[in-house]
Amino acid sequence: MNFEYSEKDENFRIEVREWLKATLPHYLKEKVKKYQRLTKEDYELFMNNLSKKGWLAWHWPEEYGGTGWNAIEKHIFEEEIVKASAPRIVPFGVNMLGPVLIEFGSEEQKNYYLPRILNNEDWWAQGYSEPGAGSDLASLKTTAIDKGDHYLVNGQKTWTTLGHHADMIFCLVKTDLNIKPQLGISFLLIDMKSPGVEVKPIITLDGEHEVNEVWFTDVKVPKKNLVGKENEGWTYAKYLLTFERTGIAGVPNSKSALNHLKMVSRKSMKNGKPLIDDPIFSSEVAELEIDLLAMEIFNLRTVSAAAEGKAPGMESSLLKIKGTLVRQKTTELLRKALGPQALPYLPEQFDEGWNEMPIGPEYAGPIAKQYFNMRKISIYGGSNEIQKNIVAKASFGL
Amino acid sequence: MDFSLSEERKMLQETVGRFFENNYKDIKKRGEYLKMTDGFSREFWKESSNLGVINGLVSPAFGGLGGSGEDICIIFELVGKSLCIEPFLSSGLLSSTILSSLNNPKTDLINQIIEGKLLMSFAHMEMNNRYEDHFIETKAKLEKETWKLNGSKSFVINGDSADKVIISARIEGKVNDKKGIGLFLVDNNNINNRPYNTIDGYRSTEMSFENINGELLCKDNQALKCIIKTNSAGALALSAEAVGIMQVCFDLTLDYLKTRKQFGKSIGAFQSIQHRMVDMMLEIEQVRSAVMLASSTFESNPTIRDKNVSAAKNLVGRVGKLIAEESIQLHGGIAMTWEYSVAHYAKRLIMIDHLMGDADYHRDRFKLLSSI
Repeated sequence: MNFEYSEKDENFRIEVREWLKATLPHYLKEKVKKYQRLTKEDYELFMNNLSKKGWLAWHWPEEYGGTGWNAIEKHIFEEEIVKASAPRIVPFGVNMLGPVLIEFGSEEQKNYYLPRILNNEDWWAQGYSEPGAGSDLASLKTTAIDKGDHYLVNGQKTWTTLGHHADMIFCLVKTDLNIKPQLGISFLLIDMKSPGVEVKPIITLDGEHEVNEVWFTDVKVPKKNLVGKENEGWTYAKYLLTFERTGIAGVPNSKSALNHLKMVSRKSMKNGKPLIDDPIFSSEVAELEIDLLAMEIFNLRTVSAAAEGKAPGMESSLLKIKGTLVRQKTTELLRKALGPQALPYLPEQFDEGWNEMPIGPEYAGPIAKQYFNMRKISIYGGSNEIQKNIVAKASFGL
Repeated sequence: MDFSLSEERKMLQETVGRFFENNYKDIKKRGEYLKMTDGFSREFWKESSNLGVINGLVSPAFGGLGGSGEDICIIFELVGKSLCIEPFLSSGLLSSTILSSLNNPKTDLINQIIEGKLLMSFAHMEMNNRYEDHFIETKAKLEKETWKLNGSKSFVINGDSADKVIISARIEGKVNDKKGIGLFLVDNNNINNRPYNTIDGYRSTEMSFENINGELLCKDNQALKCIIKTNSAGALALSAEAVGIMQVCFDLTLDYLKTRKQFGKSIGAFQSIQHRMVDMMLEIEQVRSAVMLASSTFESNPTIRDKNVSAAKNLVGRVGKLIAEESIQLHGGIAMTWEYSVAHYAKRLIMIDHLMGDADYHRDRFKLLSSI
């Protein structure tokens, strides 16, 4: 056993780190650190830089313009992005649709869409969930009726992350209503500017607008926008979800949140002493750190197996469950560390250029909001309950 | 033994309950009240007074009709059920508790509060005193027979709309000395207020003041006793409010589990989900029991009173987290939206643990008091 990264890996880490240091603007780094709202332009700036460097399609094979990195290099890259306080790479085009088109798309689709994704020309959104189809994705109701040279799409998608910025959306739609749900689904690419597409914001419990409803009323979609074969979309949908689950443990995010927690608990005072000196609170922080330490190794075991070509199975589900619980625990302890300082909520504090005096320490502002926002991570991407069903079904033989 | 409410209290519960429900029909109504100048509805507050709700928080000895632990809990459980944002805590309970605990009780001010004519707040918390009763940096000094106050107070719930404010300040000694504390009555016009909303929808303010006049209400041992009693009253009220909220969270979740269908059946049909609901139900009954105990011993000697209040508030902190998080998780995405009420109940339930002592604070206080 050897827990060390190779020299080659370490050199790669330095290369990524140096590049991020040289290209990531200071203002953007500050916005990410302060949990300020990112604009479309903020995301695009970072993704355009990655595109110019040839690192945007970090999941893709080299022949399609990807990096060809192995699983360990991908892991290092993800870690460094978080450490540098860069915005996240909006995953819908490059991490989700890209691999599906490479595997199942027509030559025409590959030739047209892949370079556009590589050059960051289209903002893609994901059209999977519906009001009646969450955990049970196959029960979706949006229909696409064959009208000769086009489909006529009617229905509603929901939880569409950053859909208000999107140019294009890939959707799961019903093309055959008379067979078993999973068999009648197709995978369709829809232009958001088509007549009949309407985006409505969903305001979340923290008062933010990140997700949307997308409504389709008699939307005409050309037949050439069908990916793969009609009624076989479920296969592609599941293939895509395996990509959605890479890095799902969110180890780098939890590590940076843990450091933040330690800083906050050194500065928060309890009866005149730093909170970190409180034996019970510091024990809770220590146990969280132990959980994270173990999970990092668990994650690396999976990454290393993937680098040797073994596809992760139930490990992704287990890591998703533990990863979300650990991340949520960091937000809980941060909230607890603040005491009454967690109460004030100044929505304008998260706008760029806000320069008033914060209430209490500046780090206090986003913490309660983050705690509530992070409730979503055990719900989305296949809820933790669904992950448990997957594991039980796949591995117990019951 | 009898765990049921008297006929009179049942009537109070029914009348107030109906009144709250009629005025807080849904979460949108609360949103409208929240946007008002004071962060709550003055009209609703006035009607609460006319109906005798504020009365119910004050003892007959000072012109009220209630004021016992049980009365406080009945009213605040209903506050929780409707998620009311009016100043029941700041004016109705905390201020009247202090005013009635003085050697010369300020009955005239209490009566003005009951009549809905006077709003008051208790400004005790400071940026760094966390939940402590005696950790006070704000200073008071006597100048030519007038008390002058200097300093700042934080997280003063409904402090911006208060006419008068009671401020805790240090007359002498070190910042965390138990001696040398005074309580002062101050006109809010003399205070700089920086109002803001809290994440759970309340109006709060940061107060700062320089050399302002204050009327000494009490000092030293009496002041500390008064602060402890007031904070315990607040912790008891918040615990009862939490019970009301938890029940609503449970009911909304159960209702959703029955109606939401996935995989061809209601999600409540899954045993793993049912077991989690049973865990929630069990823990809510535990909290309800601890709150009943704390309410029934609220008029006992301070050690028993505070020990039982701490037991209740500690449980509220622990179970509140469970109920808030499970209610959201079992609902799924819908509970993450502003539009759906469960999110607002969950936020209030979590933030109750950040007021009047969190679970850790009350666990430590329970340890101290139970070893006496």
